[in-house]
Amino acid sequence: MIASMRDNDELQMNAYCDGELDPASAIEFERRLAGDETLKAQYNRLLSLRRTVRSLPQYEVPAGLQARIQSALDADRPGRVDRPGRASRPVQAGRPRQRSWSFQALAAAAVFGAVISSSVMLTMERYDRQEDVARAVVAGHIRGLLAPQPFDVASSDRHTVKPWFTSHLPLSPQVPDLAAQGFVLEGGRVDVVGHDPVATIVYKHAKHTVSLTTLPRGQSVSDQAIAGYNVRSWSDAEFAYIVVSDISPEDLASFERAFSEASPALEIK
Amino acid sequence: MFDEVFLPHMAEAYRLAQWLTGNAYDAEDVVQDAALRAFRGIKSFGAVNARAWSLTIVRNTAYSWLLKNKSKAVVFTDDLSPAEQQELEHEGLHGARVETPEEIALFKADSEDVQRALAQLPPHFREVIVLREINQLNYRDIAEITNVPIGTVMSRLSRSRQLLITLLGDRKS
Repeated sequence: MIASMRDNDELQMNAYCDGELDPASAIEFERRLAGDETLKAQYNRLLSLRRTVRSLPQYEVPAGLQARIQSALDADRPGRVDRPGRASRPVQAGRPRQRSWSFQALAAAAVFGAVISSSVMLTMERYDRQEDVARAVVAGHIRGLLAPQPFDVASSDRHTVKPWFTSHLPLSPQVPDLAAQGFVLEGGRVDVVGHDPVATIVYKHAKHTVSLTTLPRGQSVSDQAIAGYNVRSWSDAEFAYIVVSDISPEDLASFERAFSEASPALEIK
Repeated sequence: MFDEVFLPHMAEAYRLAQWLTGNAYDAEDVVQDAALRAFRGIKSFGAVNARAWSLTIVRNTAYSWLLKNKSKAVVFTDDLSPAEQQELEHEGLHGARVETPEEIALFKADSEDVQRALAQLPPHFREVIVLREINQLNYRDIAEITNVPIGTVMSRLSRSRQLLITLLGDRKS
């Protein structure tokens, strides 16, 4: 037990040293650092190691390497131009036939214009609604970060979180544990979007909090950044999902992948 | 396209290759091979992170090169049994921990010592240090390049640093 506490300290110290702790954890770590001589000494040693490694002489690209690569590429080029080039050729053969172009285009443009303008109206309306949903979800995330804990039920065991949702909400999502993919299950909370209570699963990713809010289908929003938090959204057969965090959009994308891959397997319960 | 994606990261690519293969001559071959692979695979580049994409190719090329040419010298840590891995980790961690704060506060090592210590690390441990300290990538990019979860990057970095500190500490005494 003691060993694992220490390992955790070790990880946190490294993450702090690398600037990968979220602001709240960083402040907490600095507070500990100030009061703990042993920790401070270990941290200094880490910094000292970093200085030493970073001051190693940098290897320079040898002269001529770039030229060698360029000529290797040139040698490679004729061999591959054939393949993708072929595919686009036949299209050009059809060109002389574009005689009746203007009339068809006119008709198409009229229809197209009508479709566009009506769908713009619909889109605008939907866009407003989506914005409200996205804002409410981000607000839930921020509130979670400000609270002593970002969740109502704390557990890294999905068999605790899932029943808790089931007992509090009419609809409850799958709660996969994605620790193997780098997203550690922390717990769950209930957020309110519009007037409806919805389930939010809380994960931790390299000390960053990730909130995954589950909404009824059809409420997905566009991917965006709100108040400095990245928002990503997708849907499956049951729910629309909105994930909010201060991690990068790419990390959110891999979260979506991990979650989507993990959920169908748990369909049974 | 290729010129914009791969070429700007050539210097970094070369540095990484040299650290992974251990010498300048092999590094040149690896970078050249990686450039060809990148050139042929440029269509699969998803326009997300050119640097990470390029370094991923270099890293993978370096590993296949190592396996082909020096397979005996390459021990991938994931091949170790959990017990062995534990031992490696704990020797590194707890061996170093007994010292008093004054003793561990600072340590000195010249660049040759550090280079030797780095070369002694198992490849998966060495590469996280190189990617983090030499290429100065963040955890996310390192995870992408080495194709492991961020949690694994974190624990490998922490262990590698402990191992280095132990190795450098031993050398001094």
